[in-house]
Amino acid sequence: MSSCRACEARIEGSWTHCPLCGTELEPLTDGTGPAEPFPAVALRYSGRRVLRVLLLVSVGMVLASFALQLLLPHTETGWGWLRASWLGLATTWLLVLIALRERRNLARATAYLVVLVGLVSAYWDYLTGWHAWSVTYTVPIVCGSSIIAVLVLVRVLRMESGDHVLYAALTTALGLVPLLFLVLGWVTTPLPSLLCAARARAPITPPRGREVLRELSRRLHL
Amino acid sequence: MSTRAWARLDNASNIFLAARNARDPKVFRLGAELDHEVDPVLLQRALELTVDRYPLFRAVLRRGLFWYYLQGSDKHPQVVADVLPPCAPLYEPGHPGLLFRVVHHEDRVGLEVFHALVDGTGALWFLGDLLAAYLRLRGEGPGADGEEAEGESQEAAQEVAREVNEEEASAHRGITGDAFRHHFRRRRIRDRAPDPARFARDAAPAALRAAEELASLVSTGATRRSGRAPRVAGADGAHHRSRVHRVHGELTPDLRPRTVELSMPADQVLVLSRAAGVSLSSYLTALLLEGVRRSSGGLGTARTLAVSVPVNLRQFFPSHSPRNFFATVRLEHTYAPHEADPEVEVDLDELARSLEEGFRPQVSAEALAARLRRLIGLEQMLGPRLVPRPLKDLLLRVVNARVNRTLTLAVSNLGRVRLPEPAEAHVRRMMFEVSAVRPQFCAISHAGVLTVSFTAPFVRTDHVREVVRLLVARGVEVSVAATRVTEHELAEVGV
Repeated sequence: MSSCRACEARIEGSWTHCPLCGTELEPLTDGTGPAEPFPAVALRYSGRRVLRVLLLVSVGMVLASFALQLLLPHTETGWGWLRASWLGLATTWLLVLIALRERRNLARATAYLVVLVGLVSAYWDYLTGWHAWSVTYTVPIVCGSSIIAVLVLVRVLRMESGDHVLYAALTTALGLVPLLFLVLGWVTTPLPSLLCAARARAPITPPRGREVLRELSRRLHL
Repeated sequence: MSTRAWARLDNASNIFLAARNARDPKVFRLGAELDHEVDPVLLQRALELTVDRYPLFRAVLRRGLFWYYLQGSDKHPQVVADVLPPCAPLYEPGHPGLLFRVVHHEDRVGLEVFHALVDGTGALWFLGDLLAAYLRLRGEGPGADGEEAEGESQEAAQEVAREVNEEEASAHRGITGDAFRHHFRRRRIRDRAPDPARFARDAAPAALRAAEELASLVSTGATRRSGRAPRVAGADGAHHRSRVHRVHGELTPDLRPRTVELSMPADQVLVLSRAAGVSLSSYLTALLLEGVRRSSGGLGTARTLAVSVPVNLRQFFPSHSPRNFFATVRLEHTYAPHEADPEVEVDLDELARSLEEGFRPQVSAEALAARLRRLIGLEQMLGPRLVPRPLKDLLLRVVNARVNRTLTLAVSNLGRVRLPEPAEAHVRRMMFEVSAVRPQFCAISHAGVLTVSFTAPFVRTDHVREVVRLLVARGVEVSVAATRVTEHELAEVGV
């Protein structure tokens, strides 16, 4: 028996911290022993642990699938529907995991998805003998559609002004990536990259320098 | 036994089979804390004696093509140490076992029952007789003399004390006593004044409600939108349209319920509820509503909190059968928009009064009888009876899920309990808890101690903390007992 100063209640059993509020308990010396009102019953399983193991196993299998591709021939002729659907499934699973994990933070989810799709398509391009279709078409198209998605999100969701800054930064970054590819001369046709960069100029918020600075100083505080 | 007694599962019980799941196996526990460490050997002997008097508790549940049915068995119940989490599953399809267990832990005796077998009141009768038999075997009570105490005279004396006609009652304690049909099939209603001492409510959130919803679906063919805004803001009177708030949280690692048991002097809470001019149940419900609101981090637009309350029908329609005999009523309260903020103070007494106003009209004998007759009528219709059981289960499950979406909480109050002597004198406090998919409390009071057990499948107990603080702020001395559910908490005691 002990007592919680925060809840002002007696706590039965041998708890060291209040089961309700987590405050450290003070032992009571009123003759009542530390009898446990409930037996401590061992866990039969831990759902959280099961999920974590399943998750790690599946991510491991996805990474192994990608690695295995390196051992197979890197030409268009050595590429069949089996390999394509295999990689497609692995990528889809990763996308689902990210979408679930980041479902509460849509800005981060968007950024992760764009990065993942970009990396996978570049790898795919490399495996099929590098025709630069990934940097010319896939990345600009994915970035461009994400910018549209973010613009819709900002309209639909109610968010704090600080978050606006974050989303504005995200769209700018999404527009700059294909532009970078263009400058580096990696692309075969400049049109998709240019279109994407043009879309990124659509403003999310009327520019308010002080707000941007305040948000940046918060986020980048050392 | 070659010809075993059997009975189709009664009305309210079917829903428990359809609605049970890993989080909520539809098991409830009644407990008693004695003034000494329990002797398992004597408890076992007492259990055997008691089960002989309640043949229903020997029943196992079997599946027919159209219905579940209870069938008598010659299984012997065993008293076991309390080694499972509270309210662990009791019924496994295809493995017919007894539908109750008796456990002991230090000075506590627990009776866990699958809700399809009996309701809270029925289980309480059994536990009372079990404890009385145990204590007589221990040599307690007037003129007790070990095992001989189980003689005719003591038996009779005990029954007189319980004001139950044993001859009549024993016929009903068997498997076939279905109070629902007894009272409603022949459209017979005896209008008796409610007995406040036995004002008992049992532990079955949403159960009958769902069956009734199904009844209305089948009889009118109408489909209503799920998750709809409540039509009338119940007792609130403000008629705001608002969504029903539902509590979510991190589930316990193995889905066992998190139980937090609050014990407090019953007088102190009764004074508070009387000052507010409401019943104890309404006052406790208001406390829980406030606990949820204050721990919600803001209700947002879901400002309606809906509560399911089971009502013991024995108080209106006398029955000696321990089988399920209750109806569920729904209470709701819609907070004003500015009250969605957990920091805003809400008048607790006012809230309790508005809940009580919403409750009263729903629990008159006439209102309940009308609802239940409709339900029984459905059970007797040929069409639904011809639906195979698995399909019935599926339908009930769908309806139950829909009802669940419109409920925030469930409460259940067994009221003030008097046990048969010699148990009354040797039981210090009693406990009552139920497995739950949503935050729930079960209250029971005995020997001046009110025990309110909060259960939920969630790790966090913020709403209970708020209830405790509300009680403490009103001068109630609260004692808290909680189960350990996380790996970290169990590691503290080396498990």
